[in-house]
Amino acid sequence: MKLNRARRITVLVTATAVMAGTAACGGNDSGGDSATGTISFTWWGGDDRAEKYQQAVALFEKANPDIKVKTSFTDFPNYWTARSTEAAGRALPDVMQMDLSYLREYSENGHLADLSQFSDIDTSGFDEAQLQAGTVDDELLGLSAGTNTFALFVNPALIEKAGVEPLPEDYTWEQYNDWILEVAAKGVKTEDGQPIVGSGDYRGALWIFIQWLVQKGVDPYTDDGQIAFTQDHIREWLALGEAPDTAKAFASASRTTQLKPKSPFLVSEQATELNWDNFTASYITDMDTEVELMPVPTGANGSKEMFWKPSMLLSISNNSEHKTAAAKLTDFLTTDPEVGKIFGNSRGVPSNQAQRDAVVSEEGSADALTTAYEKDVADSVTAETPIPIKGFGSLEATWLTLSEDLAYDKISPDEFVEQFWAEAQQATQ
Amino acid sequence: MSVIEASAPAQESPPTRRPRRWKRHDVLAGYGFLTPWLIGFFALTAGPMLVSLYLSFTKYNLFGAPEWIGPDNYQLLLDDPKFHQAVKVTLTYVVIGTPVKLAAALAIAMLLNNSRRGQGFYRSLFYAPSLIGASVSIAIVWRAMFIDGGIVDRIGSGSGLDWGGWVGNPDLIMPMFVLLTTWQFGAPMVIFLAGLKQVPAELYEAAAVDGAGPWRKFVSITVPMLSPVIFFNLLLESVHAFQVFGSAYIISNGTGGPAGSSLFYTLYLYQRGFQDFRMGYASAMAWVLVLVVGLLTFVMFRTSNAWVHYGGDSR
Amino acid sequence: MKPRTRKLLGSFGWHLLALAIGVVVLYPGAWMLLSSFKPTHQIVGSVSLIPEHPTLDNFRTALAGIAGVSFWRFFGNSLLLAVGSVVGTVLSASVTAYAFARIDFPGRRLWFALMIGTLLLPFHVVIIPQYILFNNLGLVDTFVPLLIGKFLAAEAFFVFLMVQFMRGLPRELDEAAWIDGAGHWRIFRSITLPLMKPVLATASIFAFIWSWNDFFGPLLYLKNSDLYPLPVALRLFVDQTSTSDYGAQMAMAVLALAPVIIFFLVFQRYLIGGVATTGLKG
Repeated sequence: MKLNRARRITVLVTATAVMAGTAACGGNDSGGDSATGTISFTWWGGDDRAEKYQQAVALFEKANPDIKVKTSFTDFPNYWTARSTEAAGRALPDVMQMDLSYLREYSENGHLADLSQFSDIDTSGFDEAQLQAGTVDDELLGLSAGTNTFALFVNPALIEKAGVEPLPEDYTWEQYNDWILEVAAKGVKTEDGQPIVGSGDYRGALWIFIQWLVQKGVDPYTDDGQIAFTQDHIREWLALGEAPDTAKAFASASRTTQLKPKSPFLVSEQATELNWDNFTASYITDMDTEVELMPVPTGANGSKEMFWKPSMLLSISNNSEHKTAAAKLTDFLTTDPEVGKIFGNSRGVPSNQAQRDAVVSEEGSADALTTAYEKDVADSVTAETPIPIKGFGSLEATWLTLSEDLAYDKISPDEFVEQFWAEAQQATQ
Repeated sequence: MSVIEASAPAQESPPTRRPRRWKRHDVLAGYGFLTPWLIGFFALTAGPMLVSLYLSFTKYNLFGAPEWIGPDNYQLLLDDPKFHQAVKVTLTYVVIGTPVKLAAALAIAMLLNNSRRGQGFYRSLFYAPSLIGASVSIAIVWRAMFIDGGIVDRIGSGSGLDWGGWVGNPDLIMPMFVLLTTWQFGAPMVIFLAGLKQVPAELYEAAAVDGAGPWRKFVSITVPMLSPVIFFNLLLESVHAFQVFGSAYIISNGTGGPAGSSLFYTLYLYQRGFQDFRMGYASAMAWVLVLVVGLLTFVMFRTSNAWVHYGGDSR
Repeated sequence: MKPRTRKLLGSFGWHLLALAIGVVVLYPGAWMLLSSFKPTHQIVGSVSLIPEHPTLDNFRTALAGIAGVSFWRFFGNSLLLAVGSVVGTVLSASVTAYAFARIDFPGRRLWFALMIGTLLLPFHVVIIPQYILFNNLGLVDTFVPLLIGKFLAAEAFFVFLMVQFMRGLPRELDEAAWIDGAGHWRIFRSITLPLMKPVLATASIFAFIWSWNDFFGPLLYLKNSDLYPLPVALRLFVDQTSTSDYGAQMAMAVLALAPVIIFFLVFQRYLIGGVATTGLKG
């Protein structure tokens, strides 16, 4: 058995600890299927999401009086630290929010339950592609709660202030670069004396690189979960943004660093930003100006090749002793129309038809914007969701830090490629 | 001087090496009283250290079993640019921050070392930052003071220095951390002050008769007489400087940025161990730190004979 | 110049200098305190200390808590941990120190040297195995990992502090009790311990403040926001509210530091005395 070594370590540690007597409570792997009792449910997110989940859970408990739900939540980076630890101790929560970037990691070690085995989970209202995205090796391990896709967020008032023409509806990466250079060339400043820029350094997000790869017709990963893109692809991608970078036309690295956790776009110093479309709500709430959504730049072959990505999934742990109850909760949270109404599009546009229909969006609200945007771009969504490989979560983080080094001119693009590649070898093993 | 003497387990036991007879009740009571500490020592320190040594030769991500890979982790460390960066950042901090802090502590201790009224008040006042300096609250305040448009930026531009926010500038983040640690000069200052009080006044009087100026007195009386305390402070402050974590984590949002310029060793170790879950790699890092700190301590003790003067009466 | 005038001038200069240092030392604290009464948008750019339009809004926001967990919950967690640390430290360190300072038994010198060694040991070398151990025991996300070390005298500083103090205590009383037939436990309990009050106070204060300020331990071991103590909650405050509400953050920072400051003001005599006589840092 594979766990033997781990157990031996435990024993070693425990023996030195003179605590051997208490070591037996390591956790129960067998799992169970009790339909009643107390189950645990955890997610990442802020204030707003917590409030919504609490409402939703209250509804669930009312409908299922014999199930109690214990909830907890934390911020994204610490969420994964906590889950990994629990996974190691075979003590994952019964139901947990899952991210596509980590799905494979948790699937490989058999931590997640196959959701298709539960009669309480009704998958009929989901798009096939969304179910597919949560499937690893023919097992449905994560049920998509919402969908998102990339969008170019635009601050029209700022564009006007900068004195440039807005971007055309259809534009290429090269045109986007030229436009960013044009904004910088105008040299207009905000009231605080900060230069208005066209965009941040979009090269810094691994997912945007993947979007660009897909447009090139390159599959980012092999079927058996290895990296399929090459170092040359990264080099080409980095070269793409070199002109605005050398011209200092992107939002400056030091400004971006200091604004955290805000961003130059959020404080109206940056006119456009490429990001997932479920950010609409937070942009609208935090900015006192109008925000529009546009599709991503067009790739070399003249098409956008966008894809839907589950913004978050729900998973059930294999060590759960109340799998039936957990399945009921998972089903409720992803398919119940009332829950759909509570969340609107804040978890991404609901993947489930009944929930999607339940979203009531006021004219001009964030929900309305996202819904309209996703309808608009539906024709451009032609690519399959690239399912991230194992270790993707840490690769994303590596990519981000290397981008910061690059932005501060601490490393060259070649060093970026070299260091990322070295990390990738370690992380994906 | 009491300070250093204390670290030797001195006791009035006979100097002979002959096996001695222990009283049975003493042995029982001794180990009885020591039991909690012994449990703690083996369970929380010695045992974990050995496990950590073992793990440093494995690949271990908590999910599976540790997999023996020999010295690969140490090999990887050598080729890891971020590791080099972390070493550089930490060494800079130790080598610059510690002496600056101690110099400030000594200078202010000398200022306070007289019988003027209010001395006790100032001593307490200056000590306060040492207590709260490591807290999250202060790290947050520090960040707010040193960002773009923050108070320090304003003062800078007011005096014609256009340095912008220090938090976003890779070249200014280290000076900021040095300031933060120097600000906490209170703890070593209190120790210096206690040491200064033990320097016999006659020495200064005699020197004054010989016509020695203040600098001369400082170099030939204060420093030698204070050398055990200086040594003690230097050792402890350096060891602590190697382990700084909280403020680095808060100020950079856990990233060690901008561009790795505040990637302290401990922060990188945390990232590797608890964010990437490369426990073997992080264990190797931890052991490198133990070896470096151990070596530093060893070297400091060995060279201390050359410059640390213990008062003739205490030994 | 008359010597008297010179002396007066010297004294004046000295106080001026000391006060100037005092201002620099106090500035960040004062800035934090006064900022907490300013509306958020006036905090970062403002050079002036005094709030133009003082407001308690920040404190209202801070006290409302974060994402459904009330401020007092965090405060209570911090308090529980700090009090637990004090109790554990005082109990275990005094017993251990007694063994080192007052009992003659084989191996004492070796154990003492090892204990001093742990003072210099970077704790990072043990955190990973400790973490694995507590994780395997199912104790992550409880207060146990944060407190157990305190009850096992793992913090060598306190043992050392107490050993130092005990060496200064007269042995005559012990010996008299010994002749009366008292054992070590009775001597410890009825003679040594009562005499140790000052050092127990010093240790308690340090244990309290260190636990109160501890960030790394809770960050590592606590996952559930209901269990967070204040320092971790404070950081949560930065992350969760997408708009960085500096005002509320400052208010919470002030509230988090207040007990430490109060402790310091009340007990500073013990504290500084303790540091000065043992020659150890705080």
